[in-house]
Amino acid sequence: MQVFVAGKGVITAIGNNVAENLQSFYEGRSGISDITILRTNYAGKLPAGEIKFSNAALAAMAGLEGTVSRTGLFSMIAAREALQDAQIPEPGKWRIGFLSANTVGGMDITENIFKAFHEDHTKADLSEVEQHDTGAITDIVAAQLGIKDFVTTISTACSSSANSIMLGARLIKNNLLDIALAGGTDALSRFTLNGFNSLMILDDKPCTPYNETRKGLNLGEGAGYIVLVSERVAKTLPKKVMASLSGYANANDAFHQTASSPEGKGNYLAMTGALAMTGLRHEAIGYINVHGTGTNNNDLSESIAMERIFGIAPPKFSSTKTFTGHTLGACGGVEAVYSLLAMEHQIIPPHLRWTAQMKEVPFKPVTELMTGVEINHAMSNSFGFGGNCSSLIFSKVN
Amino acid sequence: MEELIATLKKQIVEQLNLQHIKPEDIGDDQPLFVEGLGLDSIDALELIVLLQQHYGIKLANPSDGPAIFHSVRTFAEYILAHRTK
Amino acid sequence: MLYINGTVCLSPQPTSDTSVFLPEVKEYHSNKIFCIDVDYSKFFDAGSMRRMGRIIKFGVTAGILALKDAGVETPGAISTGTGYGLMDISQKFLNSVIDSEETIVSPTSFIQSTHNTVSSNIALMVGCHAHNNTFAHRGFSFESVITDALLLGKEGFDNILVGAYDEVSDHSYRSMMRMDMLRAEPCSNLKLFSESHCGTIAGEGAAFFVLAKQKSDPTYGTIKACKTFPAPADANDLKRTVLGFLSDNGLSPKEIDIVLSGHCGDAKADRLNNILTHDTFSEQSILAFKHLCGEYMTATSFATWLAAKMMKTQTIPEVLYLENRNREPRNILIYNSLKANHSLMLFANV
Repeated sequence: MQVFVAGKGVITAIGNNVAENLQSFYEGRSGISDITILRTNYAGKLPAGEIKFSNAALAAMAGLEGTVSRTGLFSMIAAREALQDAQIPEPGKWRIGFLSANTVGGMDITENIFKAFHEDHTKADLSEVEQHDTGAITDIVAAQLGIKDFVTTISTACSSSANSIMLGARLIKNNLLDIALAGGTDALSRFTLNGFNSLMILDDKPCTPYNETRKGLNLGEGAGYIVLVSERVAKTLPKKVMASLSGYANANDAFHQTASSPEGKGNYLAMTGALAMTGLRHEAIGYINVHGTGTNNNDLSESIAMERIFGIAPPKFSSTKTFTGHTLGACGGVEAVYSLLAMEHQIIPPHLRWTAQMKEVPFKPVTELMTGVEINHAMSNSFGFGGNCSSLIFSKVN
Repeated sequence: MEELIATLKKQIVEQLNLQHIKPEDIGDDQPLFVEGLGLDSIDALELIVLLQQHYGIKLANPSDGPAIFHSVRTFAEYILAHRTK
Repeated sequence: MLYINGTVCLSPQPTSDTSVFLPEVKEYHSNKIFCIDVDYSKFFDAGSMRRMGRIIKFGVTAGILALKDAGVETPGAISTGTGYGLMDISQKFLNSVIDSEETIVSPTSFIQSTHNTVSSNIALMVGCHAHNNTFAHRGFSFESVITDALLLGKEGFDNILVGAYDEVSDHSYRSMMRMDMLRAEPCSNLKLFSESHCGTIAGEGAAFFVLAKQKSDPTYGTIKACKTFPAPADANDLKRTVLGFLSDNGLSPKEIDIVLSGHCGDAKADRLNNILTHDTFSEQSILAFKHLCGEYMTATSFATWLAAKMMKTQTIPEVLYLENRNREPRNILIYNSLKANHSLMLFANV
């Protein structure tokens, strides 16, 4: 049974919606900048893919209260765009699920009230306390969208929203849902900024993944969702369905709590598992949106696993984290949207700021925007802490 | 120097929560990583925090860690040469 | 449907010994109750244990012990759930960020703070490279794990290790106080349902299960289905949902023997449970569990452990009864609610 992609929505540092994100690829406009919204000592010191809107402005866009966490506001904006894009004629007649993902929950709020709350728990507002956990964010958006049939949240670090998309497809294939709105969201927080900084894997300049001289990642924020539908739902849609989710796999590196194995075992298993499900030969993949964070460890493991699968001439690939930064729990959703855009518009989003060939592998990413590229199958990789590795493959529907 | 080495041993045990090791059991020249005390890359990051917290030394490049943290003695020598507090 | 071929629970009660079933019941006089620790040094070397927060120790240990109970070395997949995640260690990290004004923070606490730490640590310890998921959705966290596992069973996976864990952290306790969920005064957990009150007691624990397509000898029983749904509009709405769930699984209410109800001792929160158990299941044995484990987002994992043990031993500990001692543990229904998160799970013995 096939699972089709009916809609997509995204908000990142390079745009508030799908069209703006696409335009940024055409213009080669990166969203990595000095931090100006998040209150942190690292403003001006560590760049990030920060979305340059205040919570009040985002709340107005989302149609939610200004007291909602930034994580929830991004989620609402992108999830609603994906649903609207799907143009499902009678959504009420189907079983709809909201499968979201995030890693920080309402941390942007918690870290502001934390001290006062721990001195006197009556001091914090109830809504601030209630939004701390990851599930709270999903519940707020599900309630606003009126989705009730199945709601959950996955939190597997950087692979979180690839896993929520997988779950959506599995629920549809097993006839438990007709429609799955799936993806993820995360907001910048002092928690994650200081955490990644303490691991000494943040670049203090805009990141340069897959460069021999790479120094680390930049954090980003945003949300990305896609609408997955069954064949029955797909037949009712007013517009032609462009793509299916043809393959996916979730694997574990089981090597180290934070580091990837040198041979990229988890990465290899995720990519080969997804390929096996599609039944395609590896040559069929036309584009890989790599995880490509810019850390020494990730890019090495990922490229070695790619070489093992694809040989010395892998498919065209790029890391769009050079535009958005690493959006953590959102990146699987955001980059699923980008992989679909690449197929739909026949483009390879450029991999920015590449200057130096990695010495361990003979290949390099696509560094200039390519247009008119026929892509029939696109792969999106999301690998993370705890060895959680997931790959998705989207295929063009003819 | 000797005083700093003794202090440093206590600080290492405390920072890394080495409940199973007494500070005086750590040899001055014993390698701290892998084959010696068995510390790993996460401990190296904690030692960088220790440097900053107690001695005001900011280590910008983690790849400098292995040489500095080779043993308590090399660690102490580095501190003496660079300390700001 | 999957067989439960192994299970271990670490909780505020003496539940860790797989050879017995609640040999005694602990009474506490507090509005928060904690897991009884086992000797964790048997499971971790000193080098790795020094970094682990309490929840990682009891979570990972329960997972490893459940595999041992099932006689499975490496599971075919791992799926776990946690409502609040690794709150205590996150709080420690956040304190260091705030207290040092973002200058001196502990990388170790940050590394251990991610929700998938327990699941990935188990994968690391048993060398499991397969599917590895962590759900973190409040009162649906463990239920989502069960849904994931039931799908995995149909997708060719076997010997799936599933589990859930939550801890009473300073932050979660304060949050529950702020949300008026807890008793204002210390109370006996064993008298939680004795009279009408406001609030419950905070609890914690970890319960893990090995779910398989073939039954082992002896198996505990089977898990048949799971459903999550938002707060029902009223008692009739709840009844419709429950009847629909049962009929989807080919059962009528009469065929249910035992309802494990998520009564928490808060008069308002228990209202729907009371109507459902009195109205729809008036002839069934009604059991409670939160007086033993306390209230937490994944408390249904404790109830699932009780269901498994009851099915295997065909006994019902006296301390569980709310009403009717007339039924034997064959078809067991769990109904739970935590604020807007309501869930049903169905079990049958073999």
